[in-house]
Amino acid sequence: MKTFKLENEPKIKSGFKAPENYFDTFQEKVLQQLNEKEVKVIPFYKRTKIISLAAAAVIGFALLIPIVNHYKTNSNELDEATLENYLSYHSNISQYDLIQNLDDNDIEKLGNDVTLEDETLEDILVASPNIEHLISEQN
Amino acid sequence: MIDEKEFIKQLLTPETQNSAFQKLLSDYQRPLYSHIRNIVLNHDDADDVLQNTFVKVFQNLKNFKGESKLFSWMYRIATNEALTFLSQKAKLSGITSEALQNKTIDNLKADLYFDGDEIQIKLQKAIVTLPEKQQLVFKMKYFEELKYEEIADILGTSVGALKASYHHAVKKIELYVTSN
Repeated sequence: MKTFKLENEPKIKSGFKAPENYFDTFQEKVLQQLNEKEVKVIPFYKRTKIISLAAAAVIGFALLIPIVNHYKTNSNELDEATLENYLSYHSNISQYDLIQNLDDNDIEKLGNDVTLEDETLEDILVASPNIEHLISEQN
Repeated sequence: MIDEKEFIKQLLTPETQNSAFQKLLSDYQRPLYSHIRNIVLNHDDADDVLQNTFVKVFQNLKNFKGESKLFSWMYRIATNEALTFLSQKAKLSGITSEALQNKTIDNLKADLYFDGDEIQIKLQKAIVTLPEKQQLVFKMKYFEELKYEEIADILGTSVGALKASYHHAVKKIELYVTSN
């Protein structure tokens, strides 16, 4: 097979050609496109930018509503830890005052919440002799 | 012929801008068309890219610092536009840029605006096998007959590197044409 050498061959042209009169009308086409861009596209772009910014702001506010509501609800109701902390360290209410304010339902509820085995209860009673006073005071 | 600095000044001055831009269009539309057509291969695509190139040139004239020649700056914009166009078209068709170019070459025989025979098609097929940079260098040197200095300014490489690229490109093309 004959080895192909580019420099030995006659110049190979690309073979690409443009349609007849293509360049006669091309200038006009570009200038028209530039005019259109100047007159129409720029204001339209600006307007869509404002519209999209406004839409984004509305969506942003809408997304904030549940969060704001959540915080609002929370601020009206103190959570347990805060209440406990306040009663223990920052108020003049003593344990005794608290106990006196408990009604039968509360005591029953406490009994359900704090389930102690008899053995544990006995251990506590043995270890804290003062508790007798509390029991007797309640009675 | 007027000095390039003066011409750029006319392009930037509102009163002279229109006539200067028309001159720019008539001076560069043919060489830039050939340059773009050599990259994208098909006339309709070349037409789109050439229009975009001139629009970009017009929009960016105010940023043109005159660090390189107007000629190189415009060729650079055209090259980037053509390469971006090709990669976007390939992405949209879900094929590689090389596969897309091969497909376009297969369609060249039926292209009204292609006047070539078997050897021209074989040469195009050989070029597609080259890396992108070598393709560009080969097309600009062999088909467009630009000087190495001009190509170096457009592509931002040294003349030495370009000569090496062109040499490699020619060797690979000769090998391809001999064995196919």
